[in-house]
Amino acid sequence: MTLVAGLRAAAYGVPFQPVGGVHGSDLAALNGWRKIADPYGSGQEVYVIPAISPDIAVIHANEVDEHGNARVLGSPFWDHPLTRAAKRVLVTAERLVPSESLAAQPELTLVPGFMVEAAAVVPRGAWPGSMHPLYEVDYDAVEAYLKDEPGVLEAHLAAAPEQSEK
Amino acid sequence: MQIDWTPFSYTVVNLARQIRPNELAFSGVNSTLPMLACLLAKRAYDFHFTYLNVAGGVEPVPTTIPHSSSDPALVAGSPAIFANEDFYDLCARGGLDLVFLGCAQVDGEGRTNVSVIGEWKNPRVRLPGGGGAAVMMPTAKRVVTWRTEHSVRTLVEKLDFVTAAGNLQTVVTPIAVFRKRDGRLALESRNPQVALDEVIRRTGFKFDASGATLTAPMTAREQAALEGLDPRGEFAAAVRA
Repeated sequence: MTLVAGLRAAAYGVPFQPVGGVHGSDLAALNGWRKIADPYGSGQEVYVIPAISPDIAVIHANEVDEHGNARVLGSPFWDHPLTRAAKRVLVTAERLVPSESLAAQPELTLVPGFMVEAAAVVPRGAWPGSMHPLYEVDYDAVEAYLKDEPGVLEAHLAAAPEQSEK
Repeated sequence: MQIDWTPFSYTVVNLARQIRPNELAFSGVNSTLPMLACLLAKRAYDFHFTYLNVAGGVEPVPTTIPHSSSDPALVAGSPAIFANEDFYDLCARGGLDLVFLGCAQVDGEGRTNVSVIGEWKNPRVRLPGGGGAAVMMPTAKRVVTWRTEHSVRTLVEKLDFVTAAGNLQTVVTPIAVFRKRDGRLALESRNPQVALDEVIRRTGFKFDASGATLTAPMTAREQAALEGLDPRGEFAAAVRA
């Protein structure tokens, strides 16, 4: 959440963002987070998190059109603050769709094309993660990848969906 | 006939028992047992409460019970998506009644470490981090944590690192339920299959055991709900004694 506060600061165009909580945590000293008194006199002290502006945000979308407008179905997790905070936005998407289909329900577009530098169509691109409502987490692939043995990374990459499409 | 507790059933049922009528309760990432507890409470208790989860689900009706407590399966049947920004902000402004937050270590004051074992700069184990715990623990009205390992290395006198501090009220393990009283965790009840001496021996922090009771037996409805959520015993098998 402190990370998101930093992303929000960047998205809002301000140097820092107040955040609730953090009191009593060693994370404040470790990260050098400062606490300020409410300048409006409530007596509360609030931690302020410095802006975090990623050089590049990459998000995976359900649909993208040729202008980079990207639609995300299901839970957006952190896609919204991430795309607003980053200097550049790249999109991967399950499929390319005509612009008219996005215009039919524009509220489902998570990031408009003018913010997107480039997009690629990558079916099953969230693997081994999930993509609502198309596919679920591939727990077998995740568990196989967790083994600390030689060849695990190679086997994981060889099992990726794009390999079977070559 | 009274059913013996297993480490799994004791932990999940006693987590579920922390939920109160009409509350907004939340379970987060890497929180399979609280996820099961919330789903159990929905099935075993007659009162209403609102279940939110980290996948963005609001009162979900999952058709499958996922291994991961952040799986999108926990949005199924949900009439709204209340995703990360929303539930963190809700918590920060005091709107979450009950939040389940995990820990690697918990101390006698109810503070938690999810960051590191050993020194920060030279760790023995680098842990995944709080995932928002530092913000949620001081701002949620009540926080509950749990450990499936009840030992002097998990329930400690001194944390290796204080990730989060604040409104932690309850700790549930396979053998005991602690509740904060006058700023310290005190024994509220213990698993009747375990002697008080054993709880003391396996707990790294000193605690008040006065007034502690034996945990009430599992009800038939709790048992039925738990079996319904884990018909093949997969979740139970993942919790070792």
